Amino acid sequence: MTAAQAPATSRPSPAVRRPGLATGRLLRLELRHNAMPWMVPVAVALFWFITYRKSMALPPLWNVRAVTLQSGAVVDFATPVVGAAAWMGSRDGRRHITDLVAVAARPRWARQLATWAATTCWAMVAYLGCAAILYGVTARQAAWGGPLWWPAAVAAASLPAFSALGFAAGWFFPSRFTTPVVAIAAFFVLALTTQPIRGSQSYWQVSPLVAYPWDIGPEPGVATFYRYVPDLSIAQLMLVAGLTMAALGALGLPAGSGDRWLRRSAAAITAAGLLAAGTAVALAGTGRLDAHGMIAIPALHDAAIDHPIRYHPVCSHGPIPVCLNPAYTVYLPAVAAALEPVLSQVARLPGAPVRISQAAATYRQGPGNMVGIEVAGPLLSGRPPVFHLLLPDQLLGPTLTVSQLAAQVRSSAGPDIVAGVIGGGTGGRVSQAQQAVTAALSAAGGDLPGHASRGTSPGRTGAGTPCGQCVANKVSGRLAPGTPVFDAAVRFAALPAAARHAWLAAHLPALRAGRIALAQLP
Amino acid sequence: MTAGAAAGLHLVRLHLVSRRVPAALAVVAACAVVLRVALRWPWDTYGAFQLPLVFEAASAAVIVITTASSLGEPERATGRWLPFLRLGAALALTAAAVIVLAAAGTGAHLAGGTLDVLRNVAGLTGIGLLFAAVFGGGLAWAGPMGYLVVGVYALYTDWHGPALTTPWIWPGRPPHDLGAALCAGLVFAVGLVAITVHGARDSAGE
Repeated sequence: MTAAQAPATSRPSPAVRRPGLATGRLLRLELRHNAMPWMVPVAVALFWFITYRKSMALPPLWNVRAVTLQSGAVVDFATPVVGAAAWMGSRDGRRHITDLVAVAARPRWARQLATWAATTCWAMVAYLGCAAILYGVTARQAAWGGPLWWPAAVAAASLPAFSALGFAAGWFFPSRFTTPVVAIAAFFVLALTTQPIRGSQSYWQVSPLVAYPWDIGPEPGVATFYRYVPDLSIAQLMLVAGLTMAALGALGLPAGSGDRWLRRSAAAITAAGLLAAGTAVALAGTGRLDAHGMIAIPALHDAAIDHPIRYHPVCSHGPIPVCLNPAYTVYLPAVAAALEPVLSQVARLPGAPVRISQAAATYRQGPGNMVGIEVAGPLLSGRPPVFHLLLPDQLLGPTLTVSQLAAQVRSSAGPDIVAGVIGGGTGGRVSQAQQAVTAALSAAGGDLPGHASRGTSPGRTGAGTPCGQCVANKVSGRLAPGTPVFDAAVRFAALPAAARHAWLAAHLPALRAGRIALAQLP
Repeated sequence: MTAGAAAGLHLVRLHLVSRRVPAALAVVAACAVVLRVALRWPWDTYGAFQLPLVFEAASAAVIVITTASSLGEPERATGRWLPFLRLGAALALTAAAVIVLAAAGTGAHLAGGTLDVLRNVAGLTGIGLLFAAVFGGGLAWAGPMGYLVVGVYALYTDWHGPALTTPWIWPGRPPHDLGAALCAGLVFAVGLVAITVHGARDSAGE
């Protein structure tokens, strides 16, 4: 067959432009040839070693786990993501193929965005997997409440920003040394931004690393009795979104990124990003520590969420039930057991509390980094009286175990309960008889340091016989030995519990009124 | 100078230039300068402990990224002296980093002192060299960077326990801790052996 005999071919139909499909193919290519998958094991290992293990050591409270997730994930993912993005951004420059790929059909800015998107996708998948595991385990352990999404969202939104900043640095400075330098700079800046934080009105708390008032730490009482205040999270989201836009927009500014329309769009995006980031910083500077332990920013604050959360407390079964927020269910048996020796001393006495009820803490910003945490209102109030219990704050110290926290409750709340019943609490006028009885009951209730309650009251032998020396030792922790008050307290504490209780039932009103002299104590 | 010595020096120079060692030295020197400047700022106790480790990790990351070769297979096939050149470059850069970082802390309060710098730079570089042998020189920085985060966390747990006391996380241990020094030294030695014998896992083109 000759060419003349060959059948005439029809003119090929023009190719159908399907930009969405082409973008998808480009993204798939970039996903397959990306450095971030190599960094995913590093980021996941860091997350497990630092954030997950730390979270699991904390009590299973949603608020504590969520803020730990935010701070931890930002630190864990920052370096790998910034480094991988810088490596990808500097790829063309390192390989000296910038001119070669300049003739590609897609504008350079579009190709860069595809590479950035692929890097971010890998990072996001890794982060979401880590967050899902942490929240999933917490959901199985937590007795009450639900996941807090704002902290998780801030950490998630930080990843595109890290990726964009790293990518832009790699593009503008294409060297093999750019990657480690930018990665270390990111870590240094993140760590640096927490150093100048002083009080709740600091611009620096806009750092995505800050998930809670920096001076308090992941405080269990925050966002348990009141809803989580997302003001700071919103400012942080504005910041990271603005930085992402600014960095990505900057990629489209140089000549050769695309046509004039594209470069103008990039300039507008950069300006908008910088404006958003600047606004976020300014807003963070107007924040203040609110009474519930969270940062409230007036311009972003929704007063409708300031109402307390309604809940049905979980209570122990005893002569005076101990009732806690259901989020603290895990603590209830230990706290009830720790308070039982004290409560058994005062149960059914006139003026004794009918219930020990956990109260929300009130937070107050002091000078510098000082934060005052106390219970709002009197400890003992209402008719019939209810004692308001404030569980110890854990601040930034070592995480307390359940038994350690219960021991702290016994040593802090025990004397307050006794003082509330006997009268003349802290700062009030207290008669010597009241002092002696308070010390005796507190010692008998086992509030003193070093006492390990195992179901028997201190100052007693195993058979329930009062131990004189034991009682004296216990009382000496509260009163100066050798004084008349001390002697009276030892004498009163050495009485059998039933005798003490009977005497108090008969004389408590007079004792509270200060009409009982020290010598009248049995 | 004999012709052999001149050829040897020429070979060393070519190797160092191909690995961007002069640029690496400049970056390490820049790290020392920034450390020196940063040491003049007021830091709290935790920040003061954390600061040297950041720059030690940066120096280690820069050192290990010089293991990436732009020549690839041809160099491996023809370079009889290549293992020794790799060993020498890694050792020289590590020594230079220790010296300039220690010098940066002279007269200032460098937490941990020179011993800490020596231990941390050696250990971090060893981790990076192992990463270079396994993942390639281009991504070797991830080793020191990842370990930096672990080390900073170990320092954090000294304040907010329970403290991480294993000597394998040597930044959290005191400078005179023998176990931590041995662990860091062992990691450095293994990394040196790996990079000397095997080289960085790299392809040409970077």
